[in-house]
Amino acid sequence: MGFADFVSDATARLLGGIGRSSITVPVMDGPLKPNDILEEASEILQETGIDNLVASVDGFLFTSGNRLLRLQEGQRPEPVMEFEAEIMSLAAAPDGGLAIGLDGGGVLLRAPDGTQHRLIEAAAANCPTAMAFSDARTLIVCNGSRNTGSQDWQRDLLELGRSGSLLRINVADGRCETIARKLAYPSGVSMMPDGSVIVSEAWRHRLLRLRPGRADPEPVLSDLPAYPGRINRGSGGGYWLCAFAVRSQLQEFILREHSYRKLMMAEVHADYWIAPALRSGLSFKEPLQAGGVIRLGIHKPWAPTRSYGLVMLLDSTFAPVASAHSRAGGRHHGATSVLESDSGDILIAAKGAGKLLRIEAATLSTVADRTKLGSAI
Amino acid sequence: MTPIVELRRASKAFRGVPAFEDVDFTLSRGEVHALLGENGAGKSTLTKVIAGVHTLTSGHLMINGEEMVLNTPSEALSKGIAMVYQENSLVPSMTVAQNIYLGNEKAFNRLRGIYIAAQQFLQSLNFHVDPSALVGTLGAAQKQMVEIARAVHHRAQVIIFDEPTATLTPEEKSYFFKLITTLKKQGVSVIFISHALEEALQIADRITILRDGRLVASDRTENFDREKIVRAMVGRELTGEIYGRTRVRAARARGAKVLSVENLSMGNMVRNTSFSIFAGQVTGIFGLVGSGRTETLKVVAGVMKRDFFFGGAVKFEGRPVRFRVPAPAVQKGIVYVTEERKAEGFFETMGIAENIYMGELSKERGGGLKIISMAEAVDLAEDWRKRLNIRAIDPNAKVIELSGGNQQKVVIAKALVQQPKLVIFDEPTRGVDVGAIAEIHHFINYLADQGIAVVVISSYLPEVLSISDRILVARQGRIVEEMEPTQATEERIMYAAVH
Repeated sequence: MGFADFVSDATARLLGGIGRSSITVPVMDGPLKPNDILEEASEILQETGIDNLVASVDGFLFTSGNRLLRLQEGQRPEPVMEFEAEIMSLAAAPDGGLAIGLDGGGVLLRAPDGTQHRLIEAAAANCPTAMAFSDARTLIVCNGSRNTGSQDWQRDLLELGRSGSLLRINVADGRCETIARKLAYPSGVSMMPDGSVIVSEAWRHRLLRLRPGRADPEPVLSDLPAYPGRINRGSGGGYWLCAFAVRSQLQEFILREHSYRKLMMAEVHADYWIAPALRSGLSFKEPLQAGGVIRLGIHKPWAPTRSYGLVMLLDSTFAPVASAHSRAGGRHHGATSVLESDSGDILIAAKGAGKLLRIEAATLSTVADRTKLGSAI
Repeated sequence: MTPIVELRRASKAFRGVPAFEDVDFTLSRGEVHALLGENGAGKSTLTKVIAGVHTLTSGHLMINGEEMVLNTPSEALSKGIAMVYQENSLVPSMTVAQNIYLGNEKAFNRLRGIYIAAQQFLQSLNFHVDPSALVGTLGAAQKQMVEIARAVHHRAQVIIFDEPTATLTPEEKSYFFKLITTLKKQGVSVIFISHALEEALQIADRITILRDGRLVASDRTENFDREKIVRAMVGRELTGEIYGRTRVRAARARGAKVLSVENLSMGNMVRNTSFSIFAGQVTGIFGLVGSGRTETLKVVAGVMKRDFFFGGAVKFEGRPVRFRVPAPAVQKGIVYVTEERKAEGFFETMGIAENIYMGELSKERGGGLKIISMAEAVDLAEDWRKRLNIRAIDPNAKVIELSGGNQQKVVIAKALVQQPKLVIFDEPTRGVDVGAIAEIHHFINYLADQGIAVVVISSYLPEVLSISDRILVARQGRIVEEMEPTQATEERIMYAAVH
């Protein structure tokens, strides 16, 4: 922290907790009003570490650890490939190609003819959290952090990581160009019809839009009560956004207490840090979760929620329309990837729970319709 | 049996303008008599004549069959007639006990003795009010309780209640009704003015209805139903206009998020509360008295200040704001229409035009000189008088001389002239007659249709259910539930408010 930051922080505290020092979290109400839709979603597959749902010309693909698998209706998932490192991200090209982002291993490209080569080295993208093809020749890659890998995202949050970047890669010649820097863990990317890039900036709880030909990203959705992750275009012109964890006042407090955080990271095992997680309740040593009361038949947690399941439907202007939740005390936490099937059903990879879930199209449509905001559906 | 109070061909006029004319009214011993009518119908004036505040212009007032003129309230009290006013008449700088004993003091008063006696007396009425608390620090409901206790304490034979239940919670109301039943058994006669028709139907033995200063109906309660009363009060059918919108159409579409309140705290009243308000919708906030809903919205509007340390954040149109006084909030586009209109809503010695013009003046930030134009004020007032259908006997009348409904419309006009983006209505129809309720609701809906974010704080469940596109429930200083009107029922809302 520089001297100016120190003075600013001290002043904010002395003035009664203004700005970041106010330690507040936006409320989940309106379109983000908690429900049990994700919790009650049907489980179609149990697979530890399931992530990266992608629709390719070869069918529905997903990853589990270092394995790439194909999902087949009514059958067990079929292994397609295995890699030396964990697969962090996946993107399908319109021509049938497939980009595979590896933890600490750069990005590989599998051509439609089955040949495979390393598109960029690990030094350029050691943490490829999400990818999207803007066209058959251009791949956009989110490099979440310059310093940490996929397993260490909590450390990046606690160290107030701002070393993420957005890369544009020419698939033909492997030329790599950084189109945005100093991002706070970019963790999702999608393309807009006008060629703009939409990127989720997790630690700043917002979505950014990078217009073609313009250098400055503009926030299109800010102040989210959760850490946004992968984002996909929906069939109706809207977007599906996964939030892999939610914010809490405790977490915001920890993030401004620098000495405490350093001490905690130095002395406490990473599994028990006060930090969001994809799943929780594995050990009594974890920070408390899900203490609460039942009101109107719904569990109301009073303790900060460490893990949560949240998928949002945004309209074409990125305003939230509806959401599906698995609340504190639920099972389907840590939703990291979402995909809309041809039938309109929503497939969700809950990495925390290790499950592939399906929500019928009508379920969320009803929620959105009930609030008369069904434009994106 | 001789009626305890009787009015024969009674008329009262102010500066030649009749408040009521040729009214015949009788009150029997041990009777609960409901007096109903729109605001401005003459109910309050009629009861004030009985309570000795005003004297009749013509006609006769008989007490126990004996004709008399009561010139002062203390004269009426000596005849056993006490009145509990709608806007309470307590001394704010004195304690609850001192207010109860005011006028009944002994030559030497021991404060301790008064407090003990007052404590026992309040407990006997089931009113949970601290007798040593200063009245100025009490909420509206508790002030009303003290006012009622004072009337009962005077051992009056006739007690007149003017809108006694407007500020009471449902639980307190049930105690109050039990109290009236007890008084009735003791032979005390009660005149009961209320706009809540169900209450009149529930508690009264007889109902008298006034319209435009004339008696239009007076009969035993069993001969009335709600529709019949409303028809007699306003001279037209209103069933579809009041509390009927949810049956007609669905909730409005949600617009952009205008206000985001995050972890707001203010003393013991507002406790880490969070909620959002969206444009183009009416957000109804229900909560019992003491739930902190008014205080929360007052912090938003700059009327009150949040806790200095870690008091949370208020974001208006995405930007953090912290108003220490209402003026900058008004300039940003947030207006608060108060629940206590007489104390905070208008300048009672000024006219309609001057009051509305005050709103216009406060819209602009000070610094430069503003030329005050009375012609502009009159034009503005005329425009709003037509838009809100403000009815005044005299266009230059002071606002205090208007009926409750018209006073409320002036307060609303004064707020809306500031062209707000967020309007907070706190109990917009409290003490307002059914005709004006429909007009105010219509206007609130119109504002939301224009894309303005509207918040309506109300203690009256049918109002919340009928007018809201989204319902928030407050309890113990925080918003605890959010409901859509289609899912909400009175039971569900009340359950959330008390559990």
